[in-house]
Amino acid sequence: MEKSYIEKIQIHKTNKVAGLHPATKFLVVIMYTICTFVLSSVSLTKIDLPLLAIPWFLVVLLLCAASGALKKCLKALKAVVFIALIIFVVQTFLVPGGEVLVRFGILRICEKGLRTAVSLSFMILDIAGIFVWLFQTTENKEISRALEESGMNYKAAYVFTSTLQMINILSDNSKTIMNAQRARGVETEGNMFIRAKAFFPTLVPLVLGAVMGSEERVLTLEARGFSMQGEKTHLFNLEKSGAEGTFKAVSILITVLVVVGRIALWIL
Amino acid sequence: MDIIMECKNVTYSYPLTKKPAIKELNLKLERGKFYGVIGENGSGKTTLCAVLRGFAPSFYKGEIEGEVLVEGKKIGEYGGELAKKIGFVFQNPFTQISGVKDTVFEEVAYGLENFGVPAGEIERRVIDVMRMTDIEHLAEKSPFELSGGQMQRVALASVIVLEPDLLIIDEPTSQLDPEGTESVFAIIQKMKEKHKTIVLVEHKIDLIAEYADEVLVFKDGAMIASGDKKEILSDMSLLEQGAALPQVAILGRKLQEKGLPLSTIPVTEKQAVEVIAEALKERKR
Repeated sequence: MEKSYIEKIQIHKTNKVAGLHPATKFLVVIMYTICTFVLSSVSLTKIDLPLLAIPWFLVVLLLCAASGALKKCLKALKAVVFIALIIFVVQTFLVPGGEVLVRFGILRICEKGLRTAVSLSFMILDIAGIFVWLFQTTENKEISRALEESGMNYKAAYVFTSTLQMINILSDNSKTIMNAQRARGVETEGNMFIRAKAFFPTLVPLVLGAVMGSEERVLTLEARGFSMQGEKTHLFNLEKSGAEGTFKAVSILITVLVVVGRIALWIL
Repeated sequence: MDIIMECKNVTYSYPLTKKPAIKELNLKLERGKFYGVIGENGSGKTTLCAVLRGFAPSFYKGEIEGEVLVEGKKIGEYGGELAKKIGFVFQNPFTQISGVKDTVFEEVAYGLENFGVPAGEIERRVIDVMRMTDIEHLAEKSPFELSGGQMQRVALASVIVLEPDLLIIDEPTSQLDPEGTESVFAIIQKMKEKHKTIVLVEHKIDLIAEYADEVLVFKDGAMIASGDKKEILSDMSLLEQGAALPQVAILGRKLQEKGLPLSTIPVTEKQAVEVIAEALKERKR
């Protein structure tokens, strides 16, 4: 017999890590973030660099690999690495204070600069990285369903989901508008300066169009009973992979160990 | 007469405007009838739809005088429940997609989910409606990847699946090609056969002439004529008021003026062929 449509829209994952319930994944993310903050407060080496945040990033890669989505995640991580790199370079050279470590002509690297650079860039890399894992291994509708399940207002959950969906639609719209503006003689290709000039004529109609469309979308939703009181049905249901308990326990355990270790370091 | 909706002396103006968009409207909608609304641009047709659906003033704000009653009860008292009674479809197919669903099936099911209908029943009803609106082959596609005509059919299906008694449809075909228009009208025709009350705003007058039972004519926010479509659409004085009339009605009137003894003024092509053929036969004799 052919599968019913309701069965077809369910998401079945065979991978135990990728298939974790979104709430569990979120707990892992929170715990990881707490650990990141704690670990980056530990200073090592002679000039007090918070180096522990660097190996900590391996956990993200490990999770991605265990979810069987390493390739996808690495693609998304590229952008994060790029941003972290820029922050690293800028902070290293620009923040003064402490002893001067190296000097190249007018550029110099100070102790404090290097310290903030390492802590800031790796903290960003770690935290953004774990979110990349969360979003690359979880479908939008899983997230929004989990939000509703956790007791979030359905309106807030709608805003969240539609925002995620809108990103793709807006990028399509911007292409249409770019073509239209090009037809009117606005130059959209060339060096940075030309592109910057084309920014407004494409962005303004895009944003205004989205705002105007939202009025009609409100009416659409209203016509579909969006503000109906009472229990709603959910055709899409979340599944558990079975590894939720283990992941919750392990992530909490690690966090507790990290925090205890940090406190012990303080006292000793 | 079974009245599903009634407007008593309704005057409505949008916020920050002095001139009312709807003036002293008295209107009774009978259950099971198909009303075609015509009039030039800016004559208040879309505002009429908003008033009938309760969006004006609850969503648009502005001032309303008089009463709008749905089955004898004031429209403001229904709140979110109104979605069960009144279906609303409008012009732009692209903004009538909820934006939170990945497939057409889920999109059509969205309203029923909000109503809290059990999952098994949802599946059954959605499949029925998808068959009726001829979108079942699109069921697993993303609603944003469809063409305008397909999207409009999805929008119609999403509303029809809720089984409202009254359907308000505002220029559903203005952005569609002839084929899309035809498919939308085929759906509306099916709804008429199910004895739904339909209010349709449409510029394509020949389609109104073919499908509607009664015609309402608007000009500058006022309803200047209403009644049986044959009467209204053959009333040449409306041409001076800026309303469009079917080509065949104008032809009929001109032929009459030239001395061809037509029994009535035709409003649809089919009628025209019959009436003119009859008159020509008469003449030969």
